[in-house]
Amino acid sequence: MPITFRDVSFTYAAKTPFSYEALKGINLQIDEGDFVAIVGRTGCGKSTLIQHMNALLNPSQGCVEIDDFHNDSDKKKRTKKVKPLRQKVGMVFQFPEYQLFEETVEKDVAFAPKNFGMKPEEALQKAHEALGEVGLDESFYTRSPFELSGGEKRRVAIAGILAASPEFLVVDEPTAGLDPKGAETMMDLFRSIHEKGTTIILVTHDMDLVLKYCNKVIVIDDGEVAEITTPDHLFDVDVERYSLQSPLLFSFASSLLKGGLAIERDQVSDVPSLAKEIARCIR
Amino acid sequence: MKNFALGKYVPFDSLVHRVDPRVKIFATIALLVAIFLPQETYSMTFLVEGVLFLLALTLLFISHVRFRDILLSLRSLWFLVIFLLVIYIVVPKKENVLGIAWNLNGWIVYWDAFAEAGKIVLRLVTMIMVTMVLTATTKPLDLTYALEWYMTPLKVVRFPAAEVAMTVSIALRFIPTLLEDASRVMKAQASRGVDFEHGRLWQKITGLTALIIPLFVSSFLRSEELANAMECRGYDPRKKRTRYRTFRLHVRDVLGLLLVAAILAGVIVLLAMHIDLFALWGIHAL
Ligand SMILES: Nc1ncnc2c1ncn2[C@@H]1O[C@H](COP(=O)(O)OP(=O)(O)OP(=O)(O)O)[C@@H](O)[C@H]1O
Ligand SMILES: [Mg+2]
Repeated sequence: MPITFRDVSFTYAAKTPFSYEALKGINLQIDEGDFVAIVGRTGCGKSTLIQHMNALLNPSQGCVEIDDFHNDSDKKKRTKKVKPLRQKVGMVFQFPEYQLFEETVEKDVAFAPKNFGMKPEEALQKAHEALGEVGLDESFYTRSPFELSGGEKRRVAIAGILAASPEFLVVDEPTAGLDPKGAETMMDLFRSIHEKGTTIILVTHDMDLVLKYCNKVIVIDDGEVAEITTPDHLFDVDVERYSLQSPLLFSFASSLLKGGLAIERDQVSDVPSLAKEIARCIR
Repeated sequence: MKNFALGKYVPFDSLVHRVDPRVKIFATIALLVAIFLPQETYSMTFLVEGVLFLLALTLLFISHVRFRDILLSLRSLWFLVIFLLVIYIVVPKKENVLGIAWNLNGWIVYWDAFAEAGKIVLRLVTMIMVTMVLTATTKPLDLTYALEWYMTPLKVVRFPAAEVAMTVSIALRFIPTLLEDASRVMKAQASRGVDFEHGRLWQKITGLTALIIPLFVSSFLRSEELANAMECRGYDPRKKRTRYRTFRLHVRDVLGLLLVAAILAGVIVLLAMHIDLFALWGIHAL
C-alpha cells in the first residue's frame, strides 16, 4: 500500500504573527518496496513532510493517505486511531539518541513493541532480534543506554523502531555526525532491511548515498516538490539550483561518457560498479 | 503547550513597546499600588477602579494585544469569582450598607457580598491586565536588564545583581528551547507508541518518564555546553561588563512617568483627604 500526499500544505504557528508556511501543495506517492530519498536544502521542509507520514503533524490543507489511514486536514475525515499507523510507519528522528530513557538497552528497545501491544517476553525477543540486526551483540543488552558512544546510541534508537516491525521506515539524516565507516554500516543496515521487504524513506544531504542506495529521489524546494526522479537522472537536471551537489563519482562517469567511453551510467552507483563498467568498456 | 496567554510577548512596534522598560516596570508597580489602595466608599472604589480598568484596557489596545488573549488570561478567574461570592455570602461582613438582597427564612444575604466580591474581582482583572501590558510589550531580555538596573544599588551590599540578571535571562532564553525539546521528544516517543492524550493512567505515567528523562539529559548536556562556551569566550562573573543595550530616557518616557505619577498621586490624595467626588457633586452615594 502506498503513501499518498494529495495537495498537502502545512503552516507552523498558524494564525499568529510567527506563522510560516512550510509545505505548499505537496503531491507525491511512495510505493511499497521503494527506497526513496528526500533531498533539498536546509529548511526546505523535509522533516515537516515526513512527520505527516505517521500523523505527528496533521496537514493544514489536503490529505495524506497511508493504507486505510487518512491524515486529513479536516478533523472529521481524519482516522482516529493513530497507534496502528505509528506501528506501520516507523519514524527515526534526526539525532534519535535523545529519545533513550530506560535503564537498559534491551528495555529501551522493547519499549515500542510493548506500547504496540506485544507481551513483555515477546517484546524482549523482538528487541534482541532488532539489536542483532543493527549489529549490537548480547554484551549490550543490560548496559545503560546513556553510557554508550554516540553511534551506538543511535543504533539502539534505530533498533527501538525496528523492533516494532514497521512496514515503512522513515529515517531523518541517520548518518549525520557518524564517521564514514559508521555511515556506511548504517546504510548497509537499511539496505538489508529494505531487502527484507521494508519500504525505506531516507532524508539526507549526502548525494553519494542517494546514488548508491535509492531507486527514487524526491527533491523539495521551499516547501514544494521540485522533482521526482531516479538518482541517475537527478544529476542531469540543474541540481545546484536546489543547493545540491552532484557526487564526484557521478561527474566522473559523466565525463567518461562525454569523452567517448560507452559506459552505462545507470549501472554506476559506487566505486566498484564504476570500475566494473570501465573494465567492461575497455575490454 | 506553547499557549501562555499571560506573559507572552507580542511582537509589534507600538508606542507602549517603545517606552523604556525601566519606566514600564516602575509604571506597572505604581499602577498596581493605585489599584490596591482602598477607597472609603463603594462608589469611590468602583469609580477609581473603573478608571484604572479603562486605562489598562486602552493600553492593551494600543499594544495590539488581541482581545482573545486578554479573555484567555482572565478565563481562570471564573472559579475565583464563584469562590469569593460564596465566601462573602456565607460569611457576611458586620456592617452592611447596601441593604438586603434576599431574606430566605432568616438566611439574610446583603448586597454588600456582591459588591465586595465585585471589588476584588475588578482589582484582580485590572491587575492582570496591567501586568499583561508589561509582559506583552517588553522583551523578556529587556525586562531582566531593567531589573538589573534597579538592582544595581544593591551591589553596595555585595548583591550579585549582574549574575542574577544573567541567570534569569539565560533561564528565560531557554524556555522556548526547552519547549521545543519537549515537543521533539514527545514526537519521538509518540512514534514509539506512547499515547500522551488517551490511554490508561499507568501508560500515561510511563509516557511521562519517557518524556522527562530525555529532557533532563539534554538539559544537562546543554547547560554544560553553555557553561563551556561562555568560559571559552572569557565570561567572568566578577568582571564589570559593558553592555550592548544602553537605556536612554526619551520624551515619551518622561511623559509616561509623569502620567503614572499623576494617577498614583491622585489616588493617594483622594484617599488621604477623604474626598468623596460624588458628595462634591451633590450625589449621595454609598
Ligand atoms: N516548530 C516550528 N515552528 C515554526 N517554524 C518551524 C518549526 N519547525 C520548522 N519550522 C520552519 O519550517 C521550515 C522547514 O523546517 P524543516 O525542519 O522541515 O526543514 P528541513 O528541510 O528538515 O531542514 P534540515 O535539512 O535543516 O533538517 C524551516 O524554515 C523552519 O524554520
Ligand atoms: Mg530536518
